[in-house]
Amino acid sequence: MLAKISICTALIATALAGQSLKPSKLSELPTDTWPMYNGDYSGRRFSPLKKINDTNISSLSFAWIYRANPGPGGGAIKSTPLVIDGVMYFTMPDHVWAIDARTGREIWHFTWPSRGGIHIGNRGLAAYGNWLYFETPDCNLVSLNMKDGKERWHVPICDLDRMYFGSSAPLIVKNHVITGVSGDDLDVPGYIESHDPETGALQWRWYTHPEPGTPEAKTWPSVEAMLHGGGMTWGSTTYDPELNLIYFGTGNPQPVIASKNREGDNLYTECIIALNPDTGKLAWYFQASPHDTHDWDANEAPVLIDGEINGQKRKLLAQASRNGYFFVLDRTNGKNIVTTTFAKANWAKGLDAKGQPIPDPKKMPQLDGALVAPNQAGAANWPPPSFSPATGLFYVNATDAYSVYYLFDASDQPEGWAGNDRGGWSQSTLRAIDYKTGKVKWGHKWEGTGGPRSGVLSTAGNLVFAGDPSNNFVALNATTGVPLWHANLGSGMSNAPITYELDGIQYLVVGAGDSLLGFAMLPK
Amino acid sequence: MPDGMGRDLTMKVCGTTCHGSDIVGATGRTREQWTGVVNSMVARGAKATDTELVQIIQYLSANFGPNMAPASAAAKPGAPAGVPARGALGRGPGVLGGGAADSHVVDKAGADRGRQVYIAECITCHGPKARGGGEGLPRAQQGANLIRSLVVLHDRYGDEIGPFLLNGHPLQSGRAASTLTKEQIGDLAHFLHQAVYFTLRGGPDLRIQNVLTGDPKAGQEYFNGAGRCHTCHSPNGDLKGIGAKYDPPTLQTKFLFPRTVGVTRNGARSTPAKPVTVAVTLANGQVVEGVLDKLDDFNVSLRDAQGDYRSFRIAPEVKVVKNDPYAAHVELLDQYTDKNMHDIVAYLETLK
Repeated sequence: MLAKISICTALIATALAGQSLKPSKLSELPTDTWPMYNGDYSGRRFSPLKKINDTNISSLSFAWIYRANPGPGGGAIKSTPLVIDGVMYFTMPDHVWAIDARTGREIWHFTWPSRGGIHIGNRGLAAYGNWLYFETPDCNLVSLNMKDGKERWHVPICDLDRMYFGSSAPLIVKNHVITGVSGDDLDVPGYIESHDPETGALQWRWYTHPEPGTPEAKTWPSVEAMLHGGGMTWGSTTYDPELNLIYFGTGNPQPVIASKNREGDNLYTECIIALNPDTGKLAWYFQASPHDTHDWDANEAPVLIDGEINGQKRKLLAQASRNGYFFVLDRTNGKNIVTTTFAKANWAKGLDAKGQPIPDPKKMPQLDGALVAPNQAGAANWPPPSFSPATGLFYVNATDAYSVYYLFDASDQPEGWAGNDRGGWSQSTLRAIDYKTGKVKWGHKWEGTGGPRSGVLSTAGNLVFAGDPSNNFVALNATTGVPLWHANLGSGMSNAPITYELDGIQYLVVGAGDSLLGFAMLPK
Repeated sequence: MPDGMGRDLTMKVCGTTCHGSDIVGATGRTREQWTGVVNSMVARGAKATDTELVQIIQYLSANFGPNMAPASAAAKPGAPAGVPARGALGRGPGVLGGGAADSHVVDKAGADRGRQVYIAECITCHGPKARGGGEGLPRAQQGANLIRSLVVLHDRYGDEIGPFLLNGHPLQSGRAASTLTKEQIGDLAHFLHQAVYFTLRGGPDLRIQNVLTGDPKAGQEYFNGAGRCHTCHSPNGDLKGIGAKYDPPTLQTKFLFPRTVGVTRNGARSTPAKPVTVAVTLANGQVVEGVLDKLDDFNVSLRDAQGDYRSFRIAPEVKVVKNDPYAAHVELLDQYTDKNMHDIVAYLETLK
């Protein structure tokens, strides 16, 4: 009888409240809520939950599965779901679903009628009050009502005819919806925008190139090259409320592989960028790959760490970059603290005074080929890493890889893709990096060739969760790297895991192909 | 994805984890180019057997070859007759489907006629590849880069290019732009869109040029010396005629990464790669050997000499020893200089 009463009370409470994201949830550690792509503003993907931990993980069991059906052609879930008031929201390109976070039961499914664009993946949603926001491959920012998935409005964020497309998860910062853009087919400039969460109106746009006439503009041979120089903003954005700065990475310069018509460092491509979210004004930049010729977008998550260096408390930012380098910066000013490699990298001659790698011209693409590590997919890519403040370790599925980079068009005026890499070998290892030194504390090699394209989650239960190349969802001891538990998902993990607690039960949810799978220690 | 043998396999291998439904766009690639693409994808984690990879290459070459029209649904309203439309879901011309679903579909014959219009009226100022007039030209002849032109990129079948020209744009012959016919403008549009599409990944001009830049003598020395290639291979044994069998770019890819699938000079597939074998020693001391099927932290599976499938849970008392016949090739990747690489290709090329 008592149990029945408490269930009724809970139902009434849910019915009265409905789904809405309280602003306070945006600045808390994620527990009953996963309010944004990375779980919180730091980008750490660390959960304070520890009901599931290194002593009891072997009793974790399957709870539910939801198979998403986007219609003809299928697709994979690459988005990190949001969890708000017991409801989970996730995407595939052109599709949004709301499902019950306790049971996986579908609540609604929204389909966007597409006008085209690259459908390679969608990273997920942002939430603000009763509203959801996501990007479409055909260059729109769409706002939906959380309750029923009905569209409120949509606004354009890019030009499909210039082969831009939308794929990234927007980020809410105060009254800003921050949206990045994708697309490296044609030689077009990258930018990031802020939109009004109520109306979608553009608040500001910041191009990823310098203003003509500034010293940074001298890193391009001409204004023409600079204004067509690429630098997309498809990665995730993090935010420090105290400094009031957002952080994100920028993508490859254009033309992509050939570079005769873009001599110089090509700022602000392949940079880690800090902007004021209210004005879109640049605070600082750090270039991960000056004058890149290997398509090594620096869009990997800029993870914010409140750490200690030489006994001093520091506000830090760490990135395991696609080019094989691990950077730790002072996020107040962008000054470099650590630069090391976290995977095989043979393309740099050394580091410059700012701690940036200096590209070796011999390892730039050649007509007869240059053997380069890593390959074009990179030592890391979009799958999100994790940082645990409990262990002080930065976890990343790192790929050691070689391929041969060829220049196809050696003319003075290459356009678009005038070269590419071919062939290759790769091997992936989950590496745990000490952020203070950049040294790898432990690595767990995944058998088989090729890397898992999946993200990482760490928890206060001394666990780190990752995917392996054999479709396993694996939990490892976060301190030692010893595998403790696994479940074969039948398809490779295609997103990054999340965890949340509802009714005293801690859930773990992961995407594999077209399915979301929930795990928990359910009471009888 | 059009129907055909290998479609489901291609969807399974490529479309479940990495790509979505738009595994490929409309840009045609030769079999050689598709082989290169598939090998790159394997290096990035695509999981398939050697036989499956060949089927995927065959499917892609057969359905997305250089002369294939993109998958069509209903033709776009207003598009000239005979111009195929794109699929109902809509994918643009980029290799991954970049661009609008209703983007301009190039008619090759139209583009060929358009090239003649271009040569007659535009090439002096806009350059041989429509990438703009060079700085060496008089100021008045430094025409815009048309690959990057918003007029061109927003155009469909001349609907933007036409009005722009007819508004009085100068032509190099001196004739008035208003004398251009509707057909000429349509052809010019086909030519310019084709020039844009040719800059995309997989454009027909974008292929490996000459890799034969090394010194065959130095390659032979490396083969018998530092590379220790001769410990497994011999020019009169397994490598006899290898230079006649593969073209130099394939030789370069195959010797660096022996697990890649190659196409021989006469179009046949390369010899299948040697499998990884495994020996599993069980708790009772029994040893089970065979071709490795799958190995991870928890399980190992294999096909034994009888072809039977066997799988075992990995436990502390179970010993697993893997043998990759190409392990030495992987180790060499850390050691080759680019000169070694080109010398070896030059040497292998002489083994005809």
